[in-house]
Amino acid sequence: MPHRSRTPAEAVEHYRGQTVRLLSCVTTAHTTVGGYHASDLPHRLSLSDGDPARLRGEQLTLDVTEQFRVFEDAGGWRVEIVGYLYALEYEDRELVAYHWHPRGESPITWPHLHVGADIRVGDRWLGKIHLPSGAVGLERIVAVAIAELGAEPLRDDWERLIREAGAQKADPPPVER
Amino acid sequence: MATRTDNEIRELSPEEWDRLVDEKARKYLGMSGAEFERRLNAGEIDIDDSPAVTRVAMMLPLHATPK
Repeated sequence: MPHRSRTPAEAVEHYRGQTVRLLSCVTTAHTTVGGYHASDLPHRLSLSDGDPARLRGEQLTLDVTEQFRVFEDAGGWRVEIVGYLYALEYEDRELVAYHWHPRGESPITWPHLHVGADIRVGDRWLGKIHLPSGAVGLERIVAVAIAELGAEPLRDDWERLIREAGAQKADPPPVER
Repeated sequence: MATRTDNEIRELSPEEWDRLVDEKARKYLGMSGAEFERRLNAGEIDIDDSPAVTRVAMMLPLHATPK
């Protein structure tokens, strides 16, 4: 159930708190955020000023930037993610990158995935293919980093925080046909 | 249930954010933030061209009008 707030600033405060708590499962890097008001243009939140943040354990790094908007509905003010970049790198090479950039010049407006594989598909590289992914939450990226890629969790309650972050999400965006 | 974290949160003004984007564009792409934004919005650069391009592009406020 998405959190509702009384003001735009309170909604952003809640969002950034939730996001930072989730990220604290795998990194101590700082988070940068701009914008606490309703706006036509999305605001942005980046981990480590937009640089990849090194995770403890395996040679993994994590890239996170979210674009968000603040809006009011019948229940109050809330934040909605309107675009993201989540990427995991291993030994400084991109393993997997989840992108959603529905606005702008790119014709690829749907959530997609790039895999860092040196596999040629005819005259194309697999890594350049936009693989449909559906909308992905940051909590799933943190979970896969810990549970499947060997990142060392930095706190004991990481599973609870991931569960709580998933439970806060609104319904996924409708599929267009 | 509140959960404490000591991870720092930095708040940037629009001008400070512009400077951060400029810094990252120069670091990762070898051009100013303004030039990168112009070329991205003109369609000269594909947002999915490379991890570095996506990294910097997602720090820009992408156009408000969806395609």
